[in-house]
Amino acid sequence: MKTRFLIGTMLLGLLCGLFLAGCGESRTPYAGNYRSMEPYAGKGHVELELKENGEANWKLADSGKTIKFKWRVENGRLWFYTKEGAIIHLTPSEGGKLLSADMTGQWHPSCPKDKCITFQRVPGGGS
Amino acid sequence: MTEPNNQSDKLKLEQVGKEVTIPRGVCVVRQGDPPVHFYVVTSGKLKVFRETHDGIRTDLTELGPGDYFGEVALITGKPRTASVEAAEESVLLEIGKEEFDSVLDQNPRLARQIIHSLAQWLVDGDQRLEKETVHQVKLRQISWFDYLLILGLSLVLGLVFNIYNDNQIPLVYSVHTAAGVEAIPLDKAKELFKDNQAVFVDARKANFYEKEHIKGSLNLPLLFFDLQYPMFQFTLDQKQVPKDMPLVVYGGTTSRRFDIELANLLEGKNQRKIYILAGDYKGWKTAFPLEEHKVKEMPAMPLGMSGYIEWIPVGIFILILIPPVRRSPYLSAVCRLILGIIFVDFALSKIMRPAVFALNVVEYGMMPAWGVNLWALVLPWGELVAGLFLILGIRTRAAATIIGGMNIIFIIGLVNAIFQGLPITCGCVGEAGEPVNWWKVLKNTGMLVMALQIFFYDRLFVLDRGGFIWRERKI
Repeated sequence: MKTRFLIGTMLLGLLCGLFLAGCGESRTPYAGNYRSMEPYAGKGHVELELKENGEANWKLADSGKTIKFKWRVENGRLWFYTKEGAIIHLTPSEGGKLLSADMTGQWHPSCPKDKCITFQRVPGGGS
Repeated sequence: MTEPNNQSDKLKLEQVGKEVTIPRGVCVVRQGDPPVHFYVVTSGKLKVFRETHDGIRTDLTELGPGDYFGEVALITGKPRTASVEAAEESVLLEIGKEEFDSVLDQNPRLARQIIHSLAQWLVDGDQRLEKETVHQVKLRQISWFDYLLILGLSLVLGLVFNIYNDNQIPLVYSVHTAAGVEAIPLDKAKELFKDNQAVFVDARKANFYEKEHIKGSLNLPLLFFDLQYPMFQFTLDQKQVPKDMPLVVYGGTTSRRFDIELANLLEGKNQRKIYILAGDYKGWKTAFPLEEHKVKEMPAMPLGMSGYIEWIPVGIFILILIPPVRRSPYLSAVCRLILGIIFVDFALSKIMRPAVFALNVVEYGMMPAWGVNLWALVLPWGELVAGLFLILGIRTRAAATIIGGMNIIFIIGLVNAIFQGLPITCGCVGEAGEPVNWWKVLKNTGMLVMALQIFFYDRLFVLDRGGFIWRERKI
């Protein structure tokens, strides 16, 4: 009986561990407002708002149109999910002051220069 | 191994034997040993058991004061048929073979009693054998209900979870028609191309575009339309493309017509004349000059624990070379645990965001468009349910069959992707950064072998059919 209880507890613990492992890391360090360092597509800067609840807004200043994402943190990288299921990876640097967005939609160890948008943290936002 | 019921017989035995004290845990006789003594239990408790060469122990009975054992081997002259171990400190009356034979010669009543007991033991043995055979047959039985249970549960859970999931996707992806977009026949499009009278736009993801595209075409991936449309416009302006020059959209797959959807979105922008390439979605590959690039090997993203666990099934190829290990039910139990953990892990990485997995399915280009979302919704739940069934020992043969079936599908998909040189990620356990290569095929083959091992040899630590009862090997 004790053995069964032990095995049951171990299995339950294992499953809980697997579930928790899928929950990702805290978003708090990266939540806030960001602005692209360079103008995008000749139409002004991109403003990026990362909320702690996992929502993100991407706004191209001149067009006024806001694109919504969901985001999470894994292994120190930010994962943006589009509604269609595509993923954009953002790599933080300088303690989270800069974010490099890989616009290829693929994962690369470093952000490809010609398809990379670098964002700089600006005050405000995040909640 | 029975109980004498006559006080005078007992007295006779006691006259010839000598008392021995056996400490707890000590084996009095061992299965296979030559017969030397007959024993009568004076006090204490002993366990009788048999053990196979690969270590499977079957507890037969327990003996207490007044019971005796060792008579079978003495009468037949053959090695001990079972082992007897003291469950607590016990005092036994030890009688040698010659003394035992002379007691039987002088005491026909005791001899009859022993014959009666042996006959009863044989009858009981037959009944136990029948019960165990029925049990084993039931255990190996596999019915359609088992499959229906696992597949039905997966379907119901997948569909119900999708209703409450924030990242909900439609059950069936509706193939859009290019409403209001004019389809342009290949020959006419070729004329426009030849005269440089149109801009060709590839709607697929950047990695597919890089591998192969119509010479001079631009890439505007449907999946990043909102994000990349401003840059697309900027590029057209930079290239000084006349405002009245039409766009010809191409690039679909069996699983999703990116071209049709992109054409609709561009039409909605109402800025240029939009055409969609008519006919077969891959007709452009033979009709136009192409720019081709060798597919770069996808960079691998560290997958952490999941990445390491995935390697374990490769070890099965060594284990199955050792025949006793290959057939061991203990190996089945280990395979069940490993395979169960892997498939639960696979499932958890896909369940929350079915749209991401659906795109992975699309990239393999093997699933018809109507089936992509259903597959993306149900498969992860199938992995989870079958994985949990394996871990918990429920309907393990059916669960192993389903997991083996999934492995076959995965292997076919992976081999097809490798031979076609598709620039895709596996979508097996991670959402990104999982290269498709022969290692993945080997890992999946290892899992398939594990599933087969479970199917043929699993019989320990299972919850039995007909009720969730832990199956003990006591007969």
